[in-house]
Amino acid sequence: MKNVQRRDFLRVLGWGGASASVGACGFTSIDSGVETVKSYVEPEDFNIPGIAVYYASTCTQCEALCGVVGRVRDGRVLKLEGNPVSGINQGKLCGLGQASVQHHYNPDRLRAPLMRQDGGLKPVSWTDAMATLLDKSAATKDGRFAFLTGPVSGHLKVLVRNATESLGSNQHFTYDPLSTRVNRAAADQLFGAESPRLLLDQAHLIVSFGADFLDTWVSPVHFAGQYARFRRASDSKPRGVLVQIEPRMTLTGANADRWIAIRPGSEGVLALGLANALLTGKSAASVAVPPAIATAAAAFDKTRVAAETGVSEEVFDRLVRLLRERAPSVVLSGPSAEGHVHGSSNAQAILALNWVLGNVGKTVLLPPKLPFPQIAPESGDTASLQQFTAGLAAGKFDTVFLHDVNPVYSAPAFLKYKEIFPKAGFKVVFAQYLDETAREADLVLPVDSALEDWGTHLPAYQPEGLELTLQQPLMERLYPDGTRSVGDVLLELLKRRRPEEYKGFADYYAYLRAALLRNRSAFVDAPGDDEQFWTEALSKGVLRVNAQEQHVPAKAANVELDFAGATQAADAQYPFRLAPAVRASLRDGRNANLPWMQETPDTLTTIVWDSWAEVHPATAKRLGIVDGDILEVASASGSLKVQAYVFPGIHPDVIGVPLGQGHESMGRYADGRGANPFRILDPVFDRKTGELAMYATRVRVTKTGARGHVVKDEGWKSGNLKTQAGRKLVVTVAADKAKLSEEV
Amino acid sequence: MKTRNLRARANCDGASRGPGRWVVRVLAALALSLATGLSFAGDEVAQPIEFPHDIHAGKMGINCMYCHTYARRSRVSGIPPLRKCIGCHQSIESVKDKPRIKKLFEYWEKKEAIPFKKVNDLPDFVRFSHERHIQRFYFQLGRPVEEVCGYCHGNVRGMTVDVKVEPLTMGWCVACHQKDHPNGKPGVVVDPARVIYPRMETADRPAQLVIADTSHGPNDCWQCHK
Repeated sequence: MKNVQRRDFLRVLGWGGASASVGACGFTSIDSGVETVKSYVEPEDFNIPGIAVYYASTCTQCEALCGVVGRVRDGRVLKLEGNPVSGINQGKLCGLGQASVQHHYNPDRLRAPLMRQDGGLKPVSWTDAMATLLDKSAATKDGRFAFLTGPVSGHLKVLVRNATESLGSNQHFTYDPLSTRVNRAAADQLFGAESPRLLLDQAHLIVSFGADFLDTWVSPVHFAGQYARFRRASDSKPRGVLVQIEPRMTLTGANADRWIAIRPGSEGVLALGLANALLTGKSAASVAVPPAIATAAAAFDKTRVAAETGVSEEVFDRLVRLLRERAPSVVLSGPSAEGHVHGSSNAQAILALNWVLGNVGKTVLLPPKLPFPQIAPESGDTASLQQFTAGLAAGKFDTVFLHDVNPVYSAPAFLKYKEIFPKAGFKVVFAQYLDETAREADLVLPVDSALEDWGTHLPAYQPEGLELTLQQPLMERLYPDGTRSVGDVLLELLKRRRPEEYKGFADYYAYLRAALLRNRSAFVDAPGDDEQFWTEALSKGVLRVNAQEQHVPAKAANVELDFAGATQAADAQYPFRLAPAVRASLRDGRNANLPWMQETPDTLTTIVWDSWAEVHPATAKRLGIVDGDILEVASASGSLKVQAYVFPGIHPDVIGVPLGQGHESMGRYADGRGANPFRILDPVFDRKTGELAMYATRVRVTKTGARGHVVKDEGWKSGNLKTQAGRKLVVTVAADKAKLSEEV
Repeated sequence: MKTRNLRARANCDGASRGPGRWVVRVLAALALSLATGLSFAGDEVAQPIEFPHDIHAGKMGINCMYCHTYARRSRVSGIPPLRKCIGCHQSIESVKDKPRIKKLFEYWEKKEAIPFKKVNDLPDFVRFSHERHIQRFYFQLGRPVEEVCGYCHGNVRGMTVDVKVEPLTMGWCVACHQKDHPNGKPGVVVDPARVIYPRMETADRPAQLVIADTSHGPNDCWQCHK
């Protein structure tokens, strides 16, 4: 030991007083001749080493499809910012969008195609992979091919559809585990558009039934911008008031002036009660309200509503007064109201309040009509996964392609997807990681990251005009021989199947360019020659489509309400409802392998790198649960083990378990972390749309006796200054001590 | 045991292990540094093309910034783009058959960058800007280019491939930053509150004469460690 120390000492001495004779060591930590520095061969004039340039593209991390500009220096993309030209995010970008560089540079990305040989997946060359793909596709009989994708729009959708058709099939399924289909169907029926344009900033009051529009719902960055203006008082409008009604608090709920914990599933009852109160004393002719709503509402007086929803009569009266006084308002319906067997009726009753209140035409407008239905967004739903699975189970498909989906992870256990999947003869999965679904495939094709790929997207929610957003590579492929664009693979398939139509396109890029140039006249401001148009389109990242404005109908179409099953007797075996909460960071689990997203504290509980079960303090007290107890949350369909977090922002009859964790095969940052509540969902479906009722699962909770440690930044516990170094860095006040404004 | 953090220089370990040899080395080092005044000599680096700086900068007298065109505009000086080399050499018939030029055109025909090895490099936590140094000493103070570049890179006119001639350590940088490099500008009256460096005036002091453009290099940590 002594000897070692002496030697160390001498070494340091040697470097400290270094000179040339010691071989030039010890002066710096960087040696000559170790790293390579490559110059450009023929750079553009604006390409200067060390100085960043910005390229516009589209963020594909969620359905909002915000515009981004990527900062690129020395050929590497470093950071994304919001694209100021985009009407959706207007220069802003959320944390999830920022984190897409971690999908790009992720160490777990696939770098070579994998083919199943002798039972295992073995790396093969792209040449072999494509040859197998083309041969197997060619051998597929008509009607025995199916394509399962995530939500898709733009020209990729056209290629997906055409590739499917070229294989003699029309079976393209679009699957979104976090589908908003119930909401879209209800909005379509009530307003005549699936995604009506919402002017939150014009409203004086927002009443949201579980629509977490600041964090996870539809187009959060856009709504957050609107919300900031909504909250700011001006000469023309007062500061907006937000009321959030939901069984489990979301970030939007935490921002609300009043948060109302409602008994899960009874949102429609409250909405009808409100309609009843608001319509009282008004002649039916004076308001444009769907007749079925007016008829149904009459049965819901204050007392009945209070009994069924758990919302006190006092709070109900305040809400009615707010709605009367603050016009125009907006009433939103979100997943916690829609995820029930009567979800569609809930959504219709809630959205119909906009008719009752006269908001339609003021704060609820229609988007312009899209002139190209073939590139219209296919937003996806869960019913399509059921159809796809049913097809697989019936042995209808010989060859299936899967892109941008991970059903082995996100399908509920009752679907038995993993067991049924092998029934397809040849399974091709396009994937960035060897995820749970790719692991089961016969051929895994590694795809480009969103920052390497070309694409066009048509956001489903269009805040102004009609925008087609362009996606372009922000840098060269990280693995030039390893990954390919899905568009390129499909185009190659189409070239084989329909050479006459497709032989003219060298690659996906050429196809996109030609497709957009052919339709130049459809875009606003498209002056100059083709080259100028294309360059300008790429530099802006957004193309505005000439589209015909639509006006809201004068009178609402009628709806059919069906509240059967809305009020159910308590279930002794499974006394709680499960709230599988969507986190803005992980969403449906596809982002679990982004360390930034794992490290980002949950918006309300501040927990990191894990799953947890939110339990109301009263329930916790009754069951003897404290923070960190490992609970078994069991439904009739399965169970999971997860640490408890005592949380007041939840209805006492509800257990909240966030989605996104519990991966078995996604990558080093995701695997073996937390639990996956998708697995334990009950087979309950919305009666009208057939969508999986996400909030209808009943569970029981039992303590396992084991203990975990809840890793978090800071809890809700007010006055707990332990983690603030004993200094009042953030001063908090308990909710019951805060003076809520009189009117709210 | 703290000293352990400072070791682990793989390429310095190697042949001469054992306390005895170290003592000899250290003594030799001390003796030499006393004799030469802390001189430094970098390793010779094998490059894919042995670029003759002595011909270009020395014999031909080409301004450094003709090829290293990014130095005055960017943080890094950059290896010149291949196109730049070809731009001249396609018209210089006399050397076209020389092996180095043949190799150059091979890269050009393949449209492939030449994988030169870095000779002067700094750790990633140091943000050194060529631009600021060139702008100050060459453009503002009008010093000769070979002198300005030579502060750090030495006399490249005497080298074929570049060799590191200065240690580029923090102490070495600071030694120069502490020297005065007067720019001949008169002082300007500024609001002292706006001057964070070099004087930490407070806002309640009256405006006074300070030389906003300090005559020596910045001394703040964050200037280089962003």
